[in-house]
Amino acid sequence: MIDSYVYVIIALLPLSAFILLFQVNPYHALVIRGILGAVAALVYGVLGASDVALTEALVGTILAMILYIVAVRSSLVMRLGILAERERDKESYLAELIASVRKIINRYHLRLELVEYPNVEALEQALIAQEIHATCTKSELLEPEKDSKPYETTFRVRRLFEIMETELNLGTTTINYRSIPPSPP
Amino acid sequence: MNWIIIAMILALLIPIYEAWQDENIWQKMLAFASISTKTSIIMLVISVTRDDWYIGVVAAIILSVGNGGLMLLANLLKRIEKYD
Amino acid sequence: MINLLSYSCLILGVIFWFWGTFPLMGNRSLLFKLHSLSVADTLGSMAIVVGLLLKIPIEWPLLLLAIISLAIWNTVLGYVLAYCSSSGDSNNDR
Repeated sequence: MIDSYVYVIIALLPLSAFILLFQVNPYHALVIRGILGAVAALVYGVLGASDVALTEALVGTILAMILYIVAVRSSLVMRLGILAERERDKESYLAELIASVRKIINRYHLRLELVEYPNVEALEQALIAQEIHATCTKSELLEPEKDSKPYETTFRVRRLFEIMETELNLGTTTINYRSIPPSPP
Repeated sequence: MNWIIIAMILALLIPIYEAWQDENIWQKMLAFASISTKTSIIMLVISVTRDDWYIGVVAAIILSVGNGGLMLLANLLKRIEKYD
Repeated sequence: MINLLSYSCLILGVIFWFWGTFPLMGNRSLLFKLHSLSVADTLGSMAIVVGLLLKIPIEWPLLLLAIISLAIWNTVLGYVLAYCSSSGDSNNDR
């Protein structure tokens, strides 16, 4: 004997799964994943599988959500290496540059993490060792010409370079791409 | 009794719709909190109508434990927002 | 008599649910929604559980546990959500 409301409850499961599929922002998808877990626990319980429902609620909702949020937080990040300078406040260019980069990558749901290095050599080493995704340094022109750009941003990730090349049209930096061979094992 | 359960499922559809169409993450969290309470209450009602102890035990456990994950998620989201 | 009382409790609970959940759809601020949700939802759920308790008193330990966890968790959850969301983004304050 199957009651009529069972069908309605079962129909909720594909509904919430579709909502989960159409989420763009990973954090929103996490919340919807929690909703899917609650609905799935309800469906399993109604169909008589109490143990599966309990497992879904405890492992599927809590543990999986914690693991996902750790994974999303640690992978969706762009690490930008900059030079640690004492009088950085003087340069409003750099702050403006960082703000616009952050705005662009926020559209792709990435976070920006600034990593400071003491000198140019350390910055270079970090880029080659693939510790950071991009570097931002001062151009080496000693005599700044009239329309030269005071900063130089180098990316080692092709996709990030393409995004920045099309969207970051700021007058203060040149954007370069540098392919780094994969490090030997 | 069936009609009461159908009405409860209809009430459950409102927060699902809200979670789908609202773009603010805290509104989504609110909808999630509402859904997780409502599903366990529906499970409890069904267990009583069927006179099934096991489903009732599971519903009570989900009701008392399931919200812990929600709080953890809220705190993590708050940290992330503060960092950005 | 008992049957009638339990059904009226259930129906009252469902009405409370709808009452607390409908404000969720509007464009009101988060705290307003949180308030209506935490008050009406908790009261509705408790009314439903009391209705079930009148209907089948044999399962009282389960239903008592459900009432207690509802009362504690939903209150704490209201505080936690309000605290976490208010410091995060400021456009929801009013």
